[in-house]
Amino acid sequence: MKLVVAVVKPFKLDDVKEALKTLGVHGLTLTEAQGFGRQRGHTEVYRGAEYEVEFVPKVRLEILVDDAQVEDVTNAVVDSASTGKIGDGKVWILPVEDVVRVRTGERGSDAL
Amino acid sequence: MLAAITQVPYPSWLNPADNTWQLVAATFVGLMSLPGLAVLYASIVQKKWAVNVLTMMFAGFSLVLVAWVLWSYKVGFGSTSIGGGVHNGVQTQLSGVGWVKHFFENFAGKPGSITSAGNESSQGVSAANTVIPFHFPTTTLAYFQFVFAAITPLLFLGSVLGRIKFSAWCLLVPLWSTFVYGIDAFLLWGGGYFAQEGSLDFSGGYVIHMSAGVSGFVAAWVLGPRLLRDRQHALPNNLVMAAVGAGILWLGWNGFNGGDPYYAGIDAAAAVVNTNLATAVGVIVWIGMDAWLSKEKKPTFLGGVNGMICGLVAITPCAGWVSGEGAIAVGGIATVIVWFAWNYLSKVRPFSKVDDALGVVYTHGIAGLFGGLLLGVFGNPNMIEYGCGHLDSSGQVVNTTINTYSSAGGSCVPFSVNGLAYGGSAHQLWEQARAAVWVILWSAVVTFILMKLIGLVLRGARYKDEILEVGDLAIHGEEAFPEETLAARVGTLSSARSGGSSGSGGAGAGGSGGSVATLERPDDGPPSGPETS
Repeated sequence: MKLVVAVVKPFKLDDVKEALKTLGVHGLTLTEAQGFGRQRGHTEVYRGAEYEVEFVPKVRLEILVDDAQVEDVTNAVVDSASTGKIGDGKVWILPVEDVVRVRTGERGSDAL
Repeated sequence: MLAAITQVPYPSWLNPADNTWQLVAATFVGLMSLPGLAVLYASIVQKKWAVNVLTMMFAGFSLVLVAWVLWSYKVGFGSTSIGGGVHNGVQTQLSGVGWVKHFFENFAGKPGSITSAGNESSQGVSAANTVIPFHFPTTTLAYFQFVFAAITPLLFLGSVLGRIKFSAWCLLVPLWSTFVYGIDAFLLWGGGYFAQEGSLDFSGGYVIHMSAGVSGFVAAWVLGPRLLRDRQHALPNNLVMAAVGAGILWLGWNGFNGGDPYYAGIDAAAAVVNTNLATAVGVIVWIGMDAWLSKEKKPTFLGGVNGMICGLVAITPCAGWVSGEGAIAVGGIATVIVWFAWNYLSKVRPFSKVDDALGVVYTHGIAGLFGGLLLGVFGNPNMIEYGCGHLDSSGQVVNTTINTYSSAGGSCVPFSVNGLAYGGSAHQLWEQARAAVWVILWSAVVTFILMKLIGLVLRGARYKDEILEVGDLAIHGEEAFPEETLAARVGTLSSARSGGSSGSGGAGAGGSGGSVATLERPDDGPPSGPETS
């Protein structure tokens, strides 16, 4: 089992969700995040004073996936989240030791 | 045969229309403080200071009122002055007295309370209105004047927030209100020295705004700056609520200036329109200057709010004495000056060395100063505040045509201001400048002394840095936007789902002092039925 973590632009979220649904992915966790890589931030002005904001809003998706599906899921996320411009984000894959379904206590692949 | 005496609702000197407008105007001005200014300021500070601002606003407003009815109303508007220059509402020294004696016998009213029934029910009177009696009771006049007295320290809260001790604020407000506001009010409005000399302040450009700007600046200087980190991250926490506060402030000002002729007549209407005009011009000018002249070249909402305040403040000393073109000029000129001061003067000493957190010295201090001076330029002799005509024995107007009202002649000369732009001499401008110098110096010196005294008494008027790092939670134990999932009532954390717990009394909760009685609940154990996978 693997955890696919994706940090992408917030307005691409709908596209990513659609792509995952098409693949049959059952669930995912979303957090709002702030990040920067090569993309620069912006300046805000309040009452004449300038404030630099280095960070750019992103969304972070976490998807638990069976080993067999990792490649497909990763490609689906990358393709649906891409705009071709700086700031598109990154996807990375972590190994997962175990997964438990809270309601029933099922473990392993049965819990996905 | 005598007519039978029947019950009547009010004495003959009381005009219900005047009384209504005065009370309505007073309520509008009260709303300008609570919630207007409270919400505006609380929204433009960081989240961690919002509750601190709100608490000092409500506390300040309340402290001023209690002091007002117990002693300070009479300091500003009493009919007898300390020194006797004014006695029972009559000015006794209209000529032939050296200026020092003239000043010291006419600088403040004798303090006293107005809480008795007799005081509250009597006809309003002050040394400033001996010619035409007020058509409403003392209570109306006192409440109307109170809401102005109350908002003044709340304005300069904007200079000292983010580090002043709550206890220091609670000491400062009633003392400042008595010694700075009360005395300035008597001098300019209560029939005191500057009023007798001819200086004018329609609604408080000097007494309220310029005084608040200077006092806030001096207090901020004595206190020292906010934490460096707070200044680096001084972002507003809610622009939408800021708009609510700003809108109430603008429209509430209809009462601020519209109530100051003290009669629900022509000049009240003129003051309202002039106020809105100057304000509208202020908004447009500041937004325009931001869009064209600022570094970012973008029109900003908070810039519009600043322009709004400049227009409101600048028209305040002249609202009923200028005509429409004067109002436009005053709003425009003052806003241009303050925009430059805000963006450039702020970078030079002493302004660059003092942390006036919300810039009150610019939008209230400088705008008030120029508004008051511009009265000497744009005062229009045809904008009559009090005209000529006939009064009956109870002081009500009878049979007065508009021609009589507007005409001069005989023992009655209508009251208006003749500014430079309308052919008047520079005399009014000179009187305005004199009064400005006094208000600036008096506000600065007394505020300095009060801040030093309070610092001595409290062993420092500012919080320690450890408290400043945290803000609201450290000072009040409250935060502006609490998160309910993260906080649980003391004593309920150990009360498990009620299937197994005992009944009321929270027996499972550790510690007696903090436990909360658990209400009886029906048993809602785990759901029965087949699992759906």
